[in-house]
Amino acid sequence: MHMAHLRKHEQKTLLALKKRARVHVEKIAEISGLAHSAVMRAVLTLSEKKLIKVQEQKQLIVTLNPEGKHHAKRGLPERRLIDSLIKLGGKAPIEKAAKDARLEKKFIPIALGWLQRKGWATIEDRRKLKALRRKPAKGADEKLLSILDEKGSLVAEELEKDLRSAVAILKRRKLVEIREKVLREIELTGAGQKLVKKRLQIVEEVSQLTPELVVSGKWRQVKLRKYNIEAPVAKMWPGKKHPYARFLDELKEKLVALGFKEMVGPPVELSFFNFDCLYTPQDHPAREWVGVYYVKSPKRGRVDAYKPIVENVKRTHEEGWKTGSTGWKYRFSIRDTQRLLLRAHGTALSVRTLLSEDLEIPGKYFAVARCYRPDMVDKTHLSEFNQVEGIIVGEDLTLRDLLGVLERFAIDIAGVDKVKFRPDYFPFTEPSVELVAYKEGYGWLEFGGSGIFRPEVTLPLGIKVPVLAWGLGVDRLFMMKAGIDDIRYLFAQDLDWIRRMELT
Amino acid sequence: MPTIEVERRDFESLLGLELPGDMEELDDMLAYVKGEVKHLDEQEIHIEVKDSNRADLWSVEGLARALRGFLSLEKGLRDYVIAGSSGVNVQVDSKLKNIRPYIGCAVVKGIKFTDMMIRGVMRLQDKLDLTYGRNRRRTSIGLYDFDLISPPLRYSVAIPEQVSFVPLDFAEKMSLNEILEKHPKGIEYGHIVRSHAVLPLLSDSKDNVLSFPPIINSNDLGRITENTRNVLIEVTGTSNETVLNSLNIMVTSLADRCGKIFTAEVHYPYKERKNAVTPQLETKTMHIDMADMNRLFGFKITMKEATVLLGKAGYGIGKTRKNSITVKIPCYRIDIMHPVDIAEDIAIAYGYNKIKPRWQRLPTTGSTSSQTQFCNLAREIMVGLGFQETLTFTMTSPETLQTKMNKKREKVVEIANPRMVTLTCLRNWVLPSLLEFLSHNTHVEYPQRIFEVGYAVVFDEKAETKTRNMAKLACVSTHPNANFTEIKSCLDALFLNIGLRQWKIRETTHPSFISGRTATIHFKDREIGIIGEIHPQVLNNFELKSPASAFEINLEELM
Repeated sequence: MHMAHLRKHEQKTLLALKKRARVHVEKIAEISGLAHSAVMRAVLTLSEKKLIKVQEQKQLIVTLNPEGKHHAKRGLPERRLIDSLIKLGGKAPIEKAAKDARLEKKFIPIALGWLQRKGWATIEDRRKLKALRRKPAKGADEKLLSILDEKGSLVAEELEKDLRSAVAILKRRKLVEIREKVLREIELTGAGQKLVKKRLQIVEEVSQLTPELVVSGKWRQVKLRKYNIEAPVAKMWPGKKHPYARFLDELKEKLVALGFKEMVGPPVELSFFNFDCLYTPQDHPAREWVGVYYVKSPKRGRVDAYKPIVENVKRTHEEGWKTGSTGWKYRFSIRDTQRLLLRAHGTALSVRTLLSEDLEIPGKYFAVARCYRPDMVDKTHLSEFNQVEGIIVGEDLTLRDLLGVLERFAIDIAGVDKVKFRPDYFPFTEPSVELVAYKEGYGWLEFGGSGIFRPEVTLPLGIKVPVLAWGLGVDRLFMMKAGIDDIRYLFAQDLDWIRRMELT
Repeated sequence: MPTIEVERRDFESLLGLELPGDMEELDDMLAYVKGEVKHLDEQEIHIEVKDSNRADLWSVEGLARALRGFLSLEKGLRDYVIAGSSGVNVQVDSKLKNIRPYIGCAVVKGIKFTDMMIRGVMRLQDKLDLTYGRNRRRTSIGLYDFDLISPPLRYSVAIPEQVSFVPLDFAEKMSLNEILEKHPKGIEYGHIVRSHAVLPLLSDSKDNVLSFPPIINSNDLGRITENTRNVLIEVTGTSNETVLNSLNIMVTSLADRCGKIFTAEVHYPYKERKNAVTPQLETKTMHIDMADMNRLFGFKITMKEATVLLGKAGYGIGKTRKNSITVKIPCYRIDIMHPVDIAEDIAIAYGYNKIKPRWQRLPTTGSTSSQTQFCNLAREIMVGLGFQETLTFTMTSPETLQTKMNKKREKVVEIANPRMVTLTCLRNWVLPSLLEFLSHNTHVEYPQRIFEVGYAVVFDEKAETKTRNMAKLACVSTHPNANFTEIKSCLDALFLNIGLRQWKIRETTHPSFISGRTATIHFKDREIGIIGEIHPQVLNNFELKSPASAFEINLEELM
């Protein structure tokens, strides 16, 4: 052990003990000029290093309570009563003596009790007091009271024997407070003494290298304190993307790499785009309140910008128009097309794209669209979610190409090992195909739904080439990746979980 | 999507085949009928049928019928033969013309019902009423024990308070009015007919009530039990075609249970429609062009192959020409609207997994939208400033948007049919979502710095959707020393890094922020956002424990 391995306040503490036997912590603080808390910290580490010994001593500190203070100033009740009795000639009625003593009523019984116990007076018939002593001497209790009044507090252990017993009496009379204090006395151990003798001079020791030390060159004269490098440190949380948002970002990148352009559009949508253009009949249960959120006010938007299209869609629903279809055979309401709702699927965006002047043929489009369904939010349902879907428009696109797109997604996006295709159903596609993919560690998962838009969808929009439509079940993919089985974690409100989520 | 519960042994006997025990194998087999196993045990299989337009697949009989074709156990059209006339005549009242004008009837005789079969028939009926019947508005079905009924039948109208009968699952007689008010089905479906002064009623020659369409059957006659042998099926509705279609689905399903089909005669008083014999089980026809089919598939199927595949899918073959086939569509395929529907069946019969996928390299260039690109820029800077991104719902409540934010009530885009009290409208600013997020995390380590680039929806009379969607950036910093200076530094850093120079802030007052520590943010004299220290009342409202400073800006104004 070398002095320089100690911190500055540890060194100062040791030096304060030099040539002294036991020293109180307070005294060390005084000698060394260190703060009390610094001495305490030093004492702790020095005793761990066995350089000092700490003797703990318990002390009882006695102080007066308010009633005690009162009596200290005015005298104990029995003293006040005996004084007045003696003045009255040694014999008087209790009331008279108490009145002359100006003794508060509540103290009269106490005074009478102690007068008799101390043998100073006795009570005769007809409540008369008779003094038994002419001038009773001051008792230890009274002495203690006045010392306490003068000094404020006393250490019980330091008192003489009679005063110490008076402490017990006053405690019983509930005139003093007694609290315990631990007194620490410090002395050097043999090792401590050796160390102090060996080295008297304090070496400047520094924990933080400062710009001043660096620039001035003073760093050469100081000792940079050794750290406990294994000590735990404060936690830090970097700024991060939300894990699900990050996953969607990567997905967008992959789709862009496959040649897809992103579509964006309004979450408050016209029924026209959400349903009518997608050949969903107006009386279909999917359009009822249990299937889709409607806007309370304003109820309706405008479709006048799409007038000829609305007419085509109307006739297609009613009797098939030029599409070769029988149609749904009912009366189509243009008013119903204007009804505003919260987009129920991203396919509404595909319809807008097909109607857009910027539509490119061939063209590939995708959207990560916020969609809404009137579900109670629980472990497996959300009222609001993201759908990843899109279209491919081009001459000569076929069912084979649709399968090719799905296979490509499965490999490039989900990195799966095997794919399988199954017949599926969507009101707006025929044929419809579901993609089932196998991924090692995950098993089979339904990864996407797709189809070729029905002629009842494309022809009224003026699209004469095939349109392949696809949607990817990315929520489940993310949940498996993130190891969660509660869909609410896609919109997690749990900051700690988000912070701890590893980036993979 | 309907889920069909089938008894394994029953399903196997209808199929004439032992089902695979393995779930995956069974799934692969059911894929032909767009079915998926949802539950599997020794006795029962629950199959979800994805096609909500294929009413013929919503029963175990229908599933077995379709599968037998795909599995080559049966080929081509299944014949449904009329055994004869049931002798039932139905007289229709002209007053029904504007209420519920059409009815179709049939009798199926000689069925041995089991409990499972009865439940299956009831579920098929319910599903048809719900989906194909448009929740009974378009069609509704009634089933009766034929032996308890005395034909001829009258489909007429009744004055609601004058007619009473014991409705299904009730013990006492109720008037039609009482049924509308008290019977669960009356409450559920009453709206379909309530506005009429007189209501539809089906009764027999002894004035026994069969049913009050489309609400409820009679408890005495309209109940199928294990003792029932002969069933009267009746469908009423607003369209003759859909009435007959619904009837076909029911009749063919019961006929697959070895029932014999007998017709009824409906006498209409309407000018444009005279008497009709129902059910009408004739096939319809549709022409398909093989060149069109092959163009759709992307691979060649010969005429010969096509006829085989059509047979597997349950179709009949009419005339074939050089490149086209006249397809006979069975009477239960009420979903066929266009040749593409038949095309899909050909492809399914061919086998999706036999088709070789092709990835076409189309000459397109991919890109994210300019909106996404700008939003990503803002996100990148916020992450760099040490903020954690959050993802919250755009749906919320005026309570969160206004009350908790200390703001006066204002109009927001509200939902007409909310499902939860906490999700009743779309947000018009993002900051409340962030404070709500923080309210769930008061026990988590501080400092907490979060942001979101999300959208908010505001009214816009000029837009076709009367609303406008705005991408917004909101961020909050909360910890014991959070203050205006800190968040202003962040705003400063953000604007500096997106190259925005001409911005200013102007002191303002806002009920959500502490006055004297709040400012509006301006870019080229347009107000684009707000910055400040969150008002302690707002912190209390969200039960937040530390001071918080925040800003929100409209990114649309900067793009």
